[in-house]
Amino acid sequence: MRGLDRQSADLSRAHVQLLRDVMEGRLSRRAAVKRGISLGLSTTALAGLLTARRTPRVSARQDSPLAGKTIDMTILGIAGWPPSQLGVTLAMEGFKPYAKETYGYDVNFSFEESPFDQLFQKAAASLSTGSAQYNIIISDSQWLGALAEPGWIVQLNDIIAQNPELQIEFVEAAQQGYRIYPDGSDQIWGFPQEGDTIALYVRQDLFTNPEEREAYKAANNGEDLPQTFEDWEEVDIDRFERIVSFFHRPDQGLYGTSLQYSKVYDFISCYCYPFMFSTGGEIWEGDVGSYRVEGVLDSETNAAGLARCKDFVKYGPEGVTNYGIAEEVDAFTSGSLATCLQWSALAFQMLNIDMNNPDQPADPSKPINRDMVLVTVPPGFRQADGSLRRTYTLGGQPWVINAFNDEDHMQVAIDFMKWWYQPETQAEFARRGGNPTDKATLSRPDFDTLQPHFRAYRYMLEGNSRDFWHDPNYSEMLAVQQEAFSAYVTDIEDDPMDALRYAACEQQRILFDNGRTDVEPSDSCADVTLG
Amino acid sequence: MAQLGTQIESVAGARRIEATQPRLSRWRALEESRLFPAVLVLPILIFFLVWNIIPLLWLLGVSFYRFKLTSAQPEQYIGFENFRRLWESSVYWGTLGRTLTFMVCSVGLATVLGILLGLLFWGSARMPGRRLALTLLFTPMILPPVAVGTFYRLIYDPTFGVLNYYANRITGKTYDFLGDKELAFWALVAVDVWMWTPFMTLMTLAALGSVPKAELEAAEIDRLPWLKRLWYVVLPHGKFILMLGILLRTIDAFKTTDLVYLMTRGGPGNRTELVGVTLYRQGFEAFQMGNASAMAVIALLIAIAFTSIYLYVLNYRETRAALR
Repeated sequence: MRGLDRQSADLSRAHVQLLRDVMEGRLSRRAAVKRGISLGLSTTALAGLLTARRTPRVSARQDSPLAGKTIDMTILGIAGWPPSQLGVTLAMEGFKPYAKETYGYDVNFSFEESPFDQLFQKAAASLSTGSAQYNIIISDSQWLGALAEPGWIVQLNDIIAQNPELQIEFVEAAQQGYRIYPDGSDQIWGFPQEGDTIALYVRQDLFTNPEEREAYKAANNGEDLPQTFEDWEEVDIDRFERIVSFFHRPDQGLYGTSLQYSKVYDFISCYCYPFMFSTGGEIWEGDVGSYRVEGVLDSETNAAGLARCKDFVKYGPEGVTNYGIAEEVDAFTSGSLATCLQWSALAFQMLNIDMNNPDQPADPSKPINRDMVLVTVPPGFRQADGSLRRTYTLGGQPWVINAFNDEDHMQVAIDFMKWWYQPETQAEFARRGGNPTDKATLSRPDFDTLQPHFRAYRYMLEGNSRDFWHDPNYSEMLAVQQEAFSAYVTDIEDDPMDALRYAACEQQRILFDNGRTDVEPSDSCADVTLG
Repeated sequence: MAQLGTQIESVAGARRIEATQPRLSRWRALEESRLFPAVLVLPILIFFLVWNIIPLLWLLGVSFYRFKLTSAQPEQYIGFENFRRLWESSVYWGTLGRTLTFMVCSVGLATVLGILLGLLFWGSARMPGRRLALTLLFTPMILPPVAVGTFYRLIYDPTFGVLNYYANRITGKTYDFLGDKELAFWALVAVDVWMWTPFMTLMTLAALGSVPKAELEAAEIDRLPWLKRLWYVVLPHGKFILMLGILLRTIDAFKTTDLVYLMTRGGPGNRTELVGVTLYRQGFEAFQMGNASAMAVIALLIAIAFTSIYLYVLNYRETRAALR
């Protein structure tokens, strides 16, 4: 494009020069005519090219009903969650000039934020009054039902049908997790903002240390410590336990591993679910009107899974039953964990990478840097046929659009989504540590090497992660489950089945009371309490 | 000239008086009117009506409905169904029991410590630095619970918390104060006691200050033992203020939410889940406004019951004496 502009300027200069030469009598008439014709042809060709180049932009600008206006957009996102912030940063840096250039309007973005466990409350309090205070919301995937059911967010099927730029192919987990409600339907409510999966962060400096390897071999009949991504692909949960128990040295301030056992929000559910999902457990069955939790969640398989999840408490630091996202980042980056199960979206924080300057550590005083850590796949679960299965919990968030937006804000939201999924935008998002979910970006040949965590992230996203309920009663169902799981891992409840039974009975009651199922909790639920 | 000036001034003064006369008389008329007390009370009455009575009635109304904010269904009148469910819910009774235990322990300990500290400061009127010590003592009370909760979460932290540092040096063990099923509840009680003991100290000092000096001097002259002096001289005068303090603290402890929410979120399991936290969860996490309103109504009734019990105890001796 710049070449055309340069040629256009050159031609203008040639025109002036020709005129000057003719007027000053420096050219013969014949030479002047010859140069005039050639200049005329060049000018016509260039004019054609320039017109061809500019026409779509001019027409888009003219077509946009917002041309000349200034629109202020507010995005509500998750506080302290880098992908949310990154979305807004990119919007300001990238979409603002793009909108001016392409559509001819000015747009400003402001960011409202709230922690994970309070974001929905903040959004719901505003949306329930019909407010367009937050034009675009970065919601958690499980809230889709709660936002869609009262009509607070826009159903996107028609918008997608009218805008070919939004007909993007996403990986299946993202399509089902971040977009669809009710499950199994074709109703689309969200656009994936950030994909996320659980990854295993490994202190590679410890694992490759020859003395550690020899000591481990000696203690484990010659079995070596996993060294590469491929080695970790073969690690099952039993071997993982052997590894973390080997590195568990509280007297040296080193602990084997950490899972998020905190009662806050969905932490313990997300980190104990893989022990159930990967061993064949389910959390409910049926469809709207016939949901059944009792007898499904409180199964023997899930009880064994929950018990296995608790087994790893003893390899964590003191207070690990209160560990959530931030506590894990602190413990890992301070060098006190040999391994850690954590969201891949936190890779930059876990590896102590400066987001603005990825080659530099974010905090040089911390003992961890990117060269010391391998981000790999979490352990698998051995199946009856000997194969390994990984079904971990899907994290990540979709963008959803406020249904109370006026026409102008709605149009900007749609324009923004079109821009967000442009290959260049997604590439920039990935370059800065964001996790894309569209197949085009994920299938780039260099994708796995773009960021330290991308290989593990893609591995887990493509067939090894799944989401849980999108039901409008999500928060209530989650609260009782968090209470039950937390009670079990903190020894308030001794039997995992009792904890699951409590959660199952309460969830069945919640669904029944709210008209989501005709299946009443059984009579035996009346006697079920916790602790 | 000076005389002339005085005359001019007195004329001007007389004119000013004449000008304000009708206004004063109007004011006097209003003052003498039967409506005057009502006019004075009206602003606070309006305030009370708008901010207390109407929301209270609204709350009572909502408690009879199935009303979920995130549901597409319209609210539905269900009578006493929300109350019936709470009555039958063993989980809710458990929470209520826990809250009462918290209230009794927290208020009881704060009262005992507060009275002891109050007596200590009362008896050391000439102690150097007394004023500074009192100011420092009252600091926890004026701190916002959000800040206290955050501080204590860090203080209790098993990895880098200062309390664990000393506990480890003394016992050689590390304690997960907020994650341990046996310790978490008492860790919360300790924070609440730390925060509110100064309030009880303040009330004790106020109660002691209300005792007539003459009676105290008489007790001293009669060489009344210390305990008897407290029982027969101080308590009859100071008990009202002290009971008021206990009453306020009881109601406040029953409502405790912010501290628990910040420190434990009701965990581990449900070991520190108090009524306030459950209510908040129902209202602002589950958006079950009907159910949350029913819980709030019950909490209100319990608070009223406590107030009545205290007032009855407070007036018991007088009532008995009057009956005789």
